[in-house]
Amino acid sequence: MTRLILALFAAFAVAGCAGGGGGYGGGYGFNRFRLIEPQEHDVARTMVVRPTIRWNRVPRQTYDIPREENWTLHGLPLDGLAFIGGLEDGKPLVRYQRRRDIRQVPNFRSDMTPPEIASMIESYYRIRAGSVSFTMTGLQPRTFLGQPGFQYDYEHLSGSEVTRQGRVVGTVVGGRLYMILFDAPKRHYFPEIIPEVERIVESARLENRPQPRS
Amino acid sequence: MDDALPLTRRMMLAGLGCACCTGLLGVGEAHARIRPRDMESLIGPGYRPTAADERGMWQEYERVEQEIAGSNLLVTDPNLVSYLKSIVSRVGGVAAQDLRIYLARVPEFNAFMAPTGFMVIFTGLLTRMRDEAQLATVIAHEAGHFLRRHHIRRWRDVRRRTDLFAIFAMGAGVGGAGAGVYLGDAVRLAQLGTILTLAAYGRELEAEADAMSVRQMAETGYDPNAAPEVWRQLIQETEASAEMRRRRPRRGYSLLASHPAPETRMADLRASAAEVRTGRESWDRGRERYLNSLGTHRKMLLDDQVKLNDPGASLFIVNNLASDGWNGLLRFYEAEAIRLRGRREDRDLSAASYAQAVTFPDAPPEAWRMHGYALIQAGRREEGKTALARYLALAPNAPDAAMVRYSIQQ
Repeated sequence: MTRLILALFAAFAVAGCAGGGGGYGGGYGFNRFRLIEPQEHDVARTMVVRPTIRWNRVPRQTYDIPREENWTLHGLPLDGLAFIGGLEDGKPLVRYQRRRDIRQVPNFRSDMTPPEIASMIESYYRIRAGSVSFTMTGLQPRTFLGQPGFQYDYEHLSGSEVTRQGRVVGTVVGGRLYMILFDAPKRHYFPEIIPEVERIVESARLENRPQPRS
Repeated sequence: MDDALPLTRRMMLAGLGCACCTGLLGVGEAHARIRPRDMESLIGPGYRPTAADERGMWQEYERVEQEIAGSNLLVTDPNLVSYLKSIVSRVGGVAAQDLRIYLARVPEFNAFMAPTGFMVIFTGLLTRMRDEAQLATVIAHEAGHFLRRHHIRRWRDVRRRTDLFAIFAMGAGVGGAGAGVYLGDAVRLAQLGTILTLAAYGRELEAEADAMSVRQMAETGYDPNAAPEVWRQLIQETEASAEMRRRRPRRGYSLLASHPAPETRMADLRASAAEVRTGRESWDRGRERYLNSLGTHRKMLLDDQVKLNDPGASLFIVNNLASDGWNGLLRFYEAEAIRLRGRREDRDLSAASYAQAVTFPDAPPEAWRMHGYALIQAGRREEGKTALARYLALAPNAPDAAMVRYSIQQ
């Protein structure tokens, strides 16, 4: 997810005296995407999913948080599928957030209510992707990883003035946040890919082995 | 579609960001205040440029205006836009009928005047203003740049001192390049950054615009004291924002960039306001008109600000607005800012603010939702469920109604 956000954010902040975003330039040229075949895969070291078509795994970057993995179908930032595998209490969805940063993405807390998790994700987009208009279009209960969870749908106007659509399906298990997040332009890409994302979400389960420690 | 828009919010921000690097602040330097009565308009109605360099500048900005006019960042509510136009007409002096105004949805305190007579103001400005007089002072300041021909004067000054580069030729070359997304953006950023760096006028021209704005305010009946108020608010907000994160305020930030040192400037504005505030007993503040014109947009404005989780600034803004009286909306966003801040004690503090918010008749439905969840978290389940039910009653078609219903059933 951070990967996608940074791609969105890159153009927004390059010359804005804001720093950040600088890691984007040339990043793809020197890293290798890995093909994801339509079979079972471990993702974010914690979950197992089964895509039905080929995806591309985005190379890990230093600014990814330890608990995430990113896939894309057509390339970032066109579409991004992020897996967050067990974000711990007190941790933010982003890396390199300093205590002195004026604008901060709220830390996840294991006792967050559904609207609080939704609001955390919204702040994440507004702060890191420069989204201005951000609208919740749905928040409903949904079983995820066999647990009671939520589905959060939203639309936002990205820093590059493209109207994008997103869906997050998530749950909190053992005090940790597990999510699959999909974000793409509202026109064409979101409706085209969301059925496959739904299949991936439905296939998701927790790995049986012990969850990694903090 | 965004690739076809050479001017975007990013660029405006980037350009204004670059402006903050120009280092034109000269704190403590001796200076003479420019008196409002000395500020005559340097143009007449329907002004058109004749010199070649100014015509070139106009051509470029006419293209920019077309692009801005089509940007999907614009707030286009006709009532709000016509309200802004009415203020421009009032304080725009001889150019009142020539000036255009665009409202861009960007939660920053900023405004920008183009040499051709169009102005872009950011929604973040509307978030922060307590009344119409405060907004008018910023609009009058921007109009002052136009009336005093600051762009071309600054441009010629820069040209005299340095052989910069041919920004207009450059601008003409890259607009429709349609390069890859990132290259394109970078090129366009550079282009507009250059243009807007020129918009950092420097101390003297900013002081002129200040004096001009005070004059226009007084002549049109707006309380000129609104001018020093606005700058005091901005300084205090910047300081509150920094203090919350335990860092030094960024003086080069936003509209303070390249302006005279904030304290000096405020002193000058106070003196100028006092000078023109003679011979008249009542001054127009336009608070009711302002709030009525913002209407339901005020919620959006506060939402855009508070979700940025800059609690120092957000709480300052809310408290500043509340100095005219608390209401449910302001209490709700106070609670939201505290909740997002996320300190250990903030859960209880925000719960208390949500509880206060719902005592006001104008509390937004979301206040009942958050109040309800806060009660449930505090172990007061039945009261919490009642509050959630109230939310559903007030907003039966809310996008999260299904989740709230589920929470009630738990």
